[in-house]
Amino acid sequence: MSSPALAAPTRESLAALVVEIVRDQLLSVGPEFGARSNLVDAGLDSLALTQLLLAIEERTGIWVDESLLTPENLESAEALAACIDALGAGRDADGSAAS
Amino acid sequence: MSAPATPASFAARQRAGDLPLTGADAFLRSFDAECRRFGRASHLSQLVLRLGPGFDPERFQTTLAEAARAHPILRAPVVRRFAALYPVYRTTRPSPRLPVVSVHAPDVTGVAARSAQAPAHPALAPGVPLPALFGDRVNEILQLERGELLRVDLVPRADGGTDFAMTWAHLLFDGSGSEHFVAWLARCGDGATRVDALGADEGGGAGLDETPAAFFRALRAKGDRARAWQRQIRALASIPPRSPGGRLSRARQATRYERLTLRGDASERFLARAKEKAGVLTPVLFPLAASIRAHAALFRARGVLPRSFVVPVVANARPKGAASGAEAIFRTHVAMLWFRALAEETADLDGLVRALRTRRAELLKRHFLEDGLAALDVARIAPRRAYAFGVRRVFGGELASFFFAYTGEFLPRTATFFGAPIEDGFHVPGVPASPGSALVFSLRDGRLGVTHVWQDGVEDADERALLRRALLDDLVGSDGAGTP
Repeated sequence: MSSPALAAPTRESLAALVVEIVRDQLLSVGPEFGARSNLVDAGLDSLALTQLLLAIEERTGIWVDESLLTPENLESAEALAACIDALGAGRDADGSAAS
Repeated sequence: MSAPATPASFAARQRAGDLPLTGADAFLRSFDAECRRFGRASHLSQLVLRLGPGFDPERFQTTLAEAARAHPILRAPVVRRFAALYPVYRTTRPSPRLPVVSVHAPDVTGVAARSAQAPAHPALAPGVPLPALFGDRVNEILQLERGELLRVDLVPRADGGTDFAMTWAHLLFDGSGSEHFVAWLARCGDGATRVDALGADEGGGAGLDETPAAFFRALRAKGDRARAWQRQIRALASIPPRSPGGRLSRARQATRYERLTLRGDASERFLARAKEKAGVLTPVLFPLAASIRAHAALFRARGVLPRSFVVPVVANARPKGAASGAEAIFRTHVAMLWFRALAEETADLDGLVRALRTRRAELLKRHFLEDGLAALDVARIAPRRAYAFGVRRVFGGELASFFFAYTGEFLPRTATFFGAPIEDGFHVPGVPASPGSALVFSLRDGRLGVTHVWQDGVEDADERALLRRALLDDLVGSDGAGTP
């Protein structure tokens, strides 16, 4: 069963989404895992990262290119959410310009 | 007349405390049966360590014996009792025999000329011959049903170092598990941990505790996933692949292997090219593409390029995360991504890597890994040879075009082993007479190594040279010296 798409995501809701995907679908993590936990240290490997990107695309329609998976952007769910948010804003701006 | 069998009577035949085979274990048990047909060798894997001076064989033997006493899976018969639900490691009745450790005479004559590696390509470092008996070991029979699952050979070298080979029935550990096992033995030997201090996750999981009702409920839940996986596999097989060994090869099971180690600068070149062409997340697709092209070169020389190549690539299926069994040692915890490449795609390395990246994303989007794990789990109830039979039927008589693995850094956090520095180390996978060819990549201290495994009679010397030249040219650059 596919999860519902995120409508008008904010940075906070995106961070919550990343935490939810990681916790429910990808990793076995303890209760201490949260929006500020380091994603690589938590156990995300290349396969799990790809699965995370695919799940984010499914829920938000935003594809995060792997070139953006810098250590800074994987520092936490919050950092990755900021990256997704910026991509979404850029896409919206392109859409506005085109229309 | 006896009453008809019910799930409860099936389950009663499973012994509480025995350890169930994982789906991947049962798959490998099927491969063992496949290899053992016509009296061939078992489906074995080997881990080789090339150690510097200082190795303490007595301490190693003592530690391994203690480990085998503490963890009966190391000597547990792999059996499926009549009418039982699925096969198990019979840890409740392990064999009294401990894993055999053989210390051989010092190898002063270069026991193994046939494994000697001459630098036949400018990217290769000069090789040091391996003991010939390491090659012989992968052609022997281990009696799984009697708990013969593991043996170790130690061969001192003239330079004071030691060559170490651990050969095991492949279902006992996967590649990662074998490295975890060796690293754990090393820690036990150093006194950093105790042999009885493994957690349930590290040790491979709990024993048999499910009720038949729970088992069949889980089976039904996985049925849809298993069917989805079957449909995807059939789509892959719409253009049947061909392997160097050919369909149901009758070649004698005589596995040979050679280890090719790249020079340091060539290894750096490989890593840079892998990152540039396949990206930071999927460098594995670069050696995969090079391996497909190398086999295509072999087929072109034979004048029969198959219309497609189908290659299974192993993915680590251990639960990930700090609260998981990420370090699980025993049993195999793997899933497989199956990649297809069309003949016309093999002409261009960059284009092939791009195609493989797209296919990987598609497979993950369609939950191919999860569906495949469900299919393996469901198929545990099938007869032993059903897996190999099923795959061969779908792929027109073949199992795959060839076997491939990229295992990354080998023993990344282990520098010494029972007093000796680890100078090099690598895996040798088993490969049946069909497909008859395998390429396995790993890194040690930043140096890339490739283990080329083949079956006698499948690839002749000229073909092996051609395949390796094509492979190395792609890995480091077309002129072979690492220049773009």
